[in-house]
Amino acid sequence: MGWKFDKPLHEMASEEESTAMLRQWESEKHGGLWEGNNRLPLPFTYLIALIVLTAFMITMPIWGQRPNAEHYAPMVNEMDSAAVQNLATDEEKMKYLTAFAMKELATASDPRGPGLLERHPITWDDLQNIAPGIREAQTSQKYPLAFYNIVGDKIALANFEGNRTVNGDFFGEPTNAPARVQPWFDKGMIIDLFYVSYFFIVLILITKRLPSFTRKPDMSKTS
Amino acid sequence: MAGQFQKHKLGAAGIGGMLGLSMCITLFFPSFDFRSGESTWVGLDKTLSNGRVIGFSYEDPLVRGEGKPTTVVLNKDPKTGEAIDPPIRAYVYDAKAPLSAGVRHPSNMGPTVGKLSIEKGKIDQANDSDPVVFTIEATDVDGEEWHYVNNATVNNGWTAEAVLNTAGAESQYLIGRGKTVYITEGCWWCHTLLPEHTQDWQVFGTPPFLGDFNGEMPTAFGSDRKAPDLLHVAARNSSKEWMTMHFFNPRLVQPNSIMPRFDYLWGKTDANGKAIDFSKWRAEYNDYVSGKTVHPPEVPEYAPESEARALIDWVLMSLR
Amino acid sequence: MLLKLLFAKEEDIPPGSATIFFGYSAIFWFVVGTGLGSFNAAKLAFPDFVTGTEMFAFGHMRQVHVLAVILGWISMAFAMTMMYMTPALGNTKLWSEKLGLWNCFLWNIGLSLGLFLLWIGITSGREYSDLIWPIDLVVLVAVLLPLGINVWMTIAHRRTQGIYITNWFFGACTFMVMVTFVVGQAPELFNLTGLTEGYLTFWFAHNVLGLWITPVAAAIAYYTIPKLTGNPLYSHRIGHLHFWAIIAFYSTPASHHLLSAPLPEWLKSFASVEGVLILIPAVAFVANILLTMKGRWSMFVENIEIKFSVTGVLLAIPLNMQGGFQQTRAINWYVHGTGWIVAHAHLALLGMSTALEIAAVYFGLQQMLRRKLYSLALANFHYWFYIVGFCIYWISMTIAGLIQGAGKVYEVPYIDVVVAEHPYMIARWVGGTMVFTGNLVWLYNMWMTAREGTVLPKGRYSHELAYER
Repeated sequence: MGWKFDKPLHEMASEEESTAMLRQWESEKHGGLWEGNNRLPLPFTYLIALIVLTAFMITMPIWGQRPNAEHYAPMVNEMDSAAVQNLATDEEKMKYLTAFAMKELATASDPRGPGLLERHPITWDDLQNIAPGIREAQTSQKYPLAFYNIVGDKIALANFEGNRTVNGDFFGEPTNAPARVQPWFDKGMIIDLFYVSYFFIVLILITKRLPSFTRKPDMSKTS
Repeated sequence: MAGQFQKHKLGAAGIGGMLGLSMCITLFFPSFDFRSGESTWVGLDKTLSNGRVIGFSYEDPLVRGEGKPTTVVLNKDPKTGEAIDPPIRAYVYDAKAPLSAGVRHPSNMGPTVGKLSIEKGKIDQANDSDPVVFTIEATDVDGEEWHYVNNATVNNGWTAEAVLNTAGAESQYLIGRGKTVYITEGCWWCHTLLPEHTQDWQVFGTPPFLGDFNGEMPTAFGSDRKAPDLLHVAARNSSKEWMTMHFFNPRLVQPNSIMPRFDYLWGKTDANGKAIDFSKWRAEYNDYVSGKTVHPPEVPEYAPESEARALIDWVLMSLR
Repeated sequence: MLLKLLFAKEEDIPPGSATIFFGYSAIFWFVVGTGLGSFNAAKLAFPDFVTGTEMFAFGHMRQVHVLAVILGWISMAFAMTMMYMTPALGNTKLWSEKLGLWNCFLWNIGLSLGLFLLWIGITSGREYSDLIWPIDLVVLVAVLLPLGINVWMTIAHRRTQGIYITNWFFGACTFMVMVTFVVGQAPELFNLTGLTEGYLTFWFAHNVLGLWITPVAAAIAYYTIPKLTGNPLYSHRIGHLHFWAIIAFYSTPASHHLLSAPLPEWLKSFASVEGVLILIPAVAFVANILLTMKGRWSMFVENIEIKFSVTGVLLAIPLNMQGGFQQTRAINWYVHGTGWIVAHAHLALLGMSTALEIAAVYFGLQQMLRRKLYSLALANFHYWFYIVGFCIYWISMTIAGLIQGAGKVYEVPYIDVVVAEHPYMIARWVGGTMVFTGNLVWLYNMWMTAREGTVLPKGRYSHELAYER
C-alpha cells in the first residue's frame, strides 16, 4: 500500500492506487448496482459533530443523579447542635439544615451538591435513620463518603468505581481498597473519549484511503 | 494492490478489532467490578431460598419447581430445644435439591463472603446428594458486620428432618418453587423487580443495592411495566387473604385491574381435598358482575401442594 | 415439495428455492406473530377475554409473540434476502441451495419447538433469551451457523473484485449475531448468576437489535433502493461511515437498559454516550438512501416496493431520535419501563425494520418465482392497513407511556394509571389487528402470485412490467 500524507484530509492513497481503484470501480457492477463517490454533504458533517458534542453534554453526570452520603454529611454533623435542637418543628429543623448544608457544599470541588439537595429534600425522620450509617462511614474512613448511596431512609455501599486490588496486583484477590477513584465529572467519560477518538481516527484513515470525492467514477464505461 | 481497501481480509480484521475493543470495554472490564461485589443478607437469602436455577434446569426439566429447597422459620433450636429470638430462616436442601449457585461457587457471593462461608460456614463440606441445612450468620470482621452462609448440618448438628419437624408445616415456605411459578406464568412481563433510582422509591421502596442478587438466576428484572413494581410488595401488603383473592380473580379486590385470573394455579382440588368446580364459580361470578347476586362467590382455599401456595409463599417471604 | 428438494442433488435444485421457502416461511411467521400480538393486545384491553385456561394466559403468550416475530418473521426475512441478494451482488449463484433449504427446514422445526415449549411455560425466564439452552444450541447450530456459512462462502466465491456494502453488512452481521447470541446465552450455559446474568441478558437484548435487526434491515435498503430506482448508490464513502459506526457504537450501549440496577457507574455513563452516538450511523444511512432517491421520488407513490422501503427509511429518523435520547438519564427517568418504550420497540421492529423487509420480500419473491405480483390493489391494501395500524399503535402507546411516566413522577396510585391507559390499550388492539389483517391479505396476494402471477420474460425485472390487477 502506497501512502501519501501531503494532503491527509484529501486523499492518502498514492496516485496509481487511486486511479486503479477508480478503474476497478468503473469496470464492475454488483448485480447491476454501482456506487457513487460523493462526500457526506457538509451540513451532515456538522450534524455529526453536533451529535458527538451533544452525546457528551447530555450524559454528563448532572441529570438523573441523587445525593449521596457526602451531601448529607454536613447535615448529620450539624443536626445535634443547639441551633437545630432549639427549633420547634421538624420542618424548621430541615429548612435550617438544608440551608446549612447547601452553604457548606457551595465551596466543594463537586458543584452539584446544593442543587441535588434542593431537588431531593429529606425529612427529619429519614435523616435520623441515615445518620448512624453516615457517622460510621465517616469514622471508618474505609471508602470515600460519595460511595454511599442514600435512598429514602436507607444507606448502602453501592459503588463499583475503581477496581479493587491487592498490592497493585490487578488479577489478585480483591480487597476493600479501591484502586482508583474517578472525579465527579468523569463517570466513564475518559474511556469514551478514547473510544470515540479511536473510531474517528480509524474512520478517517479508511475513507481518506479511498479516491478523493472530487474524482467521480465514470459509469458510462460500465459494461 | 489495487482495491486493497475492499479486500475482505482487511475488512474482517477491522470488524474483529472494532468489535473486540467494544467487547473488551463492555464485557471484560466490568467483569472485575462484578467480581468484587459482596453479597448482602438479601442476596444470601435469595440464593439459598431459590436453589440452583429457577427456570429450565437438569433437576427441573419441565419447570414445575422441583428440586428446590424449603425455607423454614425457626423459633427454637432443633437440636437443643433452646428458643431462638428473633426467629431465623433455615434453608433445607433434601437429597433431590442440588445446592444453590452461591454455595456451589462461593466466589459468586463475593470474595469476603465466599471466604467466610468456607472458613467459618464450612459450606465446602456440603454436597448435592445429601440433605443439608443452611442458615445465614453474621460475624464481625475489622469492626464491620458481614453475613455469610453457615452449614448448620456440620456446625450446629441440625439434620434436615429435625429442622422440618421442629418448624412444623405452618412455618415451611416453598420460596424457590414460588419463584418458578412467577417465571413460568410470565408475571414478569408486566411486573418489574427493579424500582427506579430516581422516582420509584417513594412508592415502590428502595431500588436493590449491590450484592442483592449474587447467586440468583434468573434475576427477572423485567423492563415493560404494566403493573406495580413488586420488589417490596410484601412490605406494602402482607395480607395472605388479599393475595389469595387477588390471584384467584384480581377484580374481586381491584375492580379496575387488568391482571389475568390465576385461578388455574389452584389445581384440581382445594385445601380440604374437595374438587374445585371452576365453571360453577365463574357462572356465579358472572351473576355477581351483572348484578344478579350481591356477593361474589367464595374463593376456594388453596391446597398446600398447589402452585398458588408456593407463589404466595414467595411473594410474602421474599419480596419484602 | 420441500422434502423432495431437501434430498435432491445440489445441481437439481432450481436456483432461488431457498429464497422462496424462506420467503413464504417468513410471511407465515409474520401472520402468526402479528396474530398473537393482536390477541395479547386484546387481553390487555379486556382482561377477561379468553380466561380460565393456562394455555391462553397473557404470561404464556407474550414471549411467543416476541420470539415468533424476531426469530420467525424478521430473521427469516433476513435469511430470505440474504439468499438472493448475496449471490446477485457477487454476480454469482448461492454457494449451496441445499444448505439453504436445510437451514430453512431446521429453522422452522426448531422455532416451532422452541415456541411450543415457551407456550407451555418451559422457559429460562430471561427476557429475549427465553428459549431454554438446548433450544439455544439448536438456534446456534441449525439456524445461525448454516446461514452464516452460506453467506460467507457466497461472498468468498463472488465474481467481482470488490464487495458491495450490503454484502459487507450481511457477512459481518451474521458473524456478530453469533457472538452476541453465545455471550447472551452464556449465563444459562455456564450457570452465571446475579448481576452478571442481568447484565448479559440486556447485553444480548440490546446487541441483537444493534448488530442484527437494525443493520441488516439497513443493508437491505442499500440493495432495494438503487436496484428499483436504477440510480447508483449515492456514496460508497458514507457507506463506510455507516458500517463502521454501527460496529463501534451499536455494540456498546447495553447497560443503558439497567440505569437503576447497581451496575458500575462508569459503565452506565459510557453506555449513555454511545447510545446518543448511534445517531451517527443513522444520519449516514438516512442521508445515503434519501440522496440515492434523487430524481425518482415519484416511485414513492407509484412503486409498492419503494413505497415500503422509503417508509422504513423515514421511520428510521424518529426511531433513532427516540432511541438516542430516551436512554440518557436526563430523559430516561420519565419514560423508563413505560408504554413509551413499547411504542419505541414497535417502531424499530414493526416500523423501520419490517417495512424494509416487506419491500425486499415482495421484490425477491417476484424475481425468484419469475412471476409478477398478483394484485397491486391488494398490495396497496396491505400497505395502508400496515402503516395506519402501525401509526395507531405507535401513537396510542406513546401517549399511554407519557401517562404512565406522569403517574410515576407524581406518585399517582398505580390503578389510576391503569384506568387512564384503558382507551389507549383499546386503540393499540385496533392498530395491531389492522396490521394483522393487512398481513393476511399479503399472504393471500403472495400465494396467488405463485399460482397465477404473470410469468416474467427472461431477463426482465418485475417492476419493469405493468400490473394487470
